[in-house]
Amino acid sequence: MKKTIITCFVCCLLGLVKGWAHPYQVSEIPMVHLQDRTRYVSNPDQILSASTVSSIDNILYALEQRTGIETLVVAVKEIEGGDCFEFALQLGKQNGVGKKQTDNGLVILLVTEERCIQFVTGYGLEGILPDAICKRIQNRFMNTPFSQGDWDNGMLAGIRAIDSYLKDYQDGTEQRAETDSMADLYPLLFAALVILLFCFFAYRRMRRKSQCPHCKKHTLYRSDSRLISNVHGIRREEVVYTCSNCGYTVVREEESRDDRHDGFGGGRGGGPIIFGGGLFGGRGGGGFSGGSFGGGNFGGGGAGSKF
Amino acid sequence: MKRIMRLALILICALTLSSCGYNSMVEKEEAVNTAWSNVENQYQRRADLIPNLVNTVKGYASHEQETLESVVNARSKATQITLNADELTPEKLKAYQAAQGEVGSALSRLLAVTENYPELKANENFQELQAQLEGTENRISVERRNFNQVTQDYNTYIRKFPNNLFAGMFGFDKKPYFEAEAGSQKAPEVKF
Repeated sequence: MKKTIITCFVCCLLGLVKGWAHPYQVSEIPMVHLQDRTRYVSNPDQILSASTVSSIDNILYALEQRTGIETLVVAVKEIEGGDCFEFALQLGKQNGVGKKQTDNGLVILLVTEERCIQFVTGYGLEGILPDAICKRIQNRFMNTPFSQGDWDNGMLAGIRAIDSYLKDYQDGTEQRAETDSMADLYPLLFAALVILLFCFFAYRRMRRKSQCPHCKKHTLYRSDSRLISNVHGIRREEVVYTCSNCGYTVVREEESRDDRHDGFGGGRGGGPIIFGGGLFGGRGGGGFSGGSFGGGNFGGGGAGSKF
Repeated sequence: MKRIMRLALILICALTLSSCGYNSMVEKEEAVNTAWSNVENQYQRRADLIPNLVNTVKGYASHEQETLESVVNARSKATQITLNADELTPEKLKAYQAAQGEVGSALSRLLAVTENYPELKANENFQELQAQLEGTENRISVERRNFNQVTQDYNTYIRKFPNNLFAGMFGFDKKPYFEAEAGSQKAPEVKF
């Protein structure tokens, strides 16, 4: 009896320990970048030291500022399924690492129990950071320290190597800035167009008003007027126009708003209110300190090594 | 009056066409076509890598003539089969997949053989070629899965109730899926 109880207890304990260090699923990896946009390293098992993590964060923050490339670094002991490529791919896809338009995400996954290091590049990064280069960086800088269990130096050297390889790549930011500013400009352009059209029609109306129906010249001028009625601030007048060219006279009935009357006017308005909305869209995301991933997509680029 | 009636009739037809899902069917079919061309691109990419790989291996392992030839033959067979997105039928897709699968298994035999040549394995050029090949295999599997997803979406859509009436009328047919590789079910055999 005592034996069974002890066995049960040991089993429970084992289960507890096993449950505590259980293999991660993709959705269980904490996304530190979302809380703090200067952090890129998810290190739930404390495989990397704090100083290494902060050095990597610095490099990757500078990299994102310079090139727009969004990176996610994950270091864990075990993963569900044990397929490093698949896990890294799903990490990238489900979190949307990379900008949506450019798909420039990069996921770096280290799984110590599987003894694997895996880079996954987004569609847009495949040409900039080709598979062969990923493999070369892993071979030259990461695999040897990793095989000796030196996770800190291996990871730092690898990320430095990526950073220096991407040193010359800068068009990302410029292109992005350009598209951003263009996107900001569109509502402005639209507003300008509306104003122009408005002016054009007002001008046309003015011109037509001053055209003499007899000699077709724009020489009509207002020579006399007589008030017919003034109800609720709407003035109705009979206006006499005379052509200075041929002497022809036209009598028109006109309505106008009496500005001195302050009743329930309201009428007009319209115009400038149009420009209220939509001007400062564009940006969004980011927030004060929390970061965001842009929803980039992945097509299976990158390389992996076993060490 | 007659003209107005006719106009109204055309308008009604157009409206019902868009509401019966015709436009969505077109969109979904286009998505399938795009996914298919992505799959083909990745297979083409693998085919483009093969000559380079074969030449590199030849330099170090010239006795493996048989293995090398089988890769080259499988490649030339596979590149002969091209499949347009609008002629996707289960039989044709199966043939295409079989031909490409042949290339895949010939390649993995070749890579297994290279394990016996340490000098070749140490060659950085070969290592990078191998990395590219691995990356391409990964891309192929991603694109194939994506193709299956998009196709499933399309197939489900055209078979749902009001849509199935119109789908047949306008020639939107069910499209085939990629099936899991025959060899992928069983775990790889390890010999010492």
